[in-house]
Amino acid sequence: MARLARFEAQVLPHLDAAYNLARWLTRNDHDAEDVVQEAYLRAMRYFDGMKGEARPWLLAIVRNTCYTWLEKNRPGELVALDDAAPNVADTQSLNPFASPSDGNPEVILLQSANRKLVNQALEELPVGFREVIVMREIEDLSYKEIAAVAGIPIGTVMSRLARGREMLKRAIESRMRRAS
Amino acid sequence: MARNEPGGEPLIARDATYHRAPDALRARIRTSLAAKAREETRATAWRWGGIAAAFATVAALSWNVAFMQARNADEAILLAREVETAHVRSLMGEGHLNDVISTDRHTVKPWFEGKLDFAPVVLDLAPAGYALLGGRLDYLDGRPVAAITYRHRLHVVSLFEWPAERGARDAAPRLQSRRGYALVHWRREGLEYWAISDIDGSDLLQFAHALR
Repeated sequence: MARLARFEAQVLPHLDAAYNLARWLTRNDHDAEDVVQEAYLRAMRYFDGMKGEARPWLLAIVRNTCYTWLEKNRPGELVALDDAAPNVADTQSLNPFASPSDGNPEVILLQSANRKLVNQALEELPVGFREVIVMREIEDLSYKEIAAVAGIPIGTVMSRLARGREMLKRAIESRMRRAS
Repeated sequence: MARNEPGGEPLIARDATYHRAPDALRARIRTSLAAKAREETRATAWRWGGIAAAFATVAALSWNVAFMQARNADEAILLAREVETAHVRSLMGEGHLNDVISTDRHTVKPWFEGKLDFAPVVLDLAPAGYALLGGRLDYLDGRPVAAITYRHRLHVVSLFEWPAERGARDAAPRLQSRRGYALVHWRREGLEYWAISDIDGSDLLQFAHALR
């Protein structure tokens, strides 16, 4: 029982982070709850092998549980990502935010996009891009932590972030144009 | 609003919803974790209980086996002494070697019929150098047994036979010697065999193998 107390003290405080990630990956309250509950049971089983920080460790388990759930329930959403080579020059030329651009009217427009619109656009992003953006921008994990959670190299984290942001920006813009 | 990565990239999704876990989920998880922990504690207890029980069983069995072996060893010595006594007494003075005297196994074997609750094995081993002399009843290991006598040159070989305990496995002939006598015991197809003589142990083993 002492083990349970330790587990609750170290892992339960990260329930919000776990739920946030699961909710963004499953896009559904009910499924997110089920996945998180299952992930916590798994986490307790592996607790003795936990290394380092509890939050990325737990999120890795939550992510795995999500992916297992997606494979079973929505296999169509799991598309392989081509991490081959969005080279930096390309990304920057596509990305008007790459340079300081506070005066850029497009930026001001984008920044005024309402939360609902951002949520919708983010939900429609392929899961591989969605998860790195959620972990980086909403959950505030470092590149290193994201790399550990997703099991990919830091370079891949960065390229996926860049591509994901680009896709997200375009999605928001097109939604805004349609709205106006 | 205009927040950027340290590297300058804008944080587009910064204002997306942070989904907080519902209180009900927190409660549900705590309940299921506690249930799981109880289950594991029980499983561990069972496991240790099982190991302890296994040890106890092994200890009890080993003790039993040791005890049985000791008892069996004692009994085997007593039995060998009985076999020796029966053999020697049958040869003394006006001894009682045979009740039926015949070199013909078809005379000796039927003689036991009705006198014993089993049919002893009687063979003509003259070609192997063991001529049949006859047979008698004797009393060994607390029961009536068949005693068959053979002659090897000038020596008498006594062969005692009686039913083995139910389920006893066959045992290969084993030689021992007592006070100059060679004894061979074996068990085959539900019968106990004890052969004894003052011939060489190797000869007696040969006799045992010829009978098998």
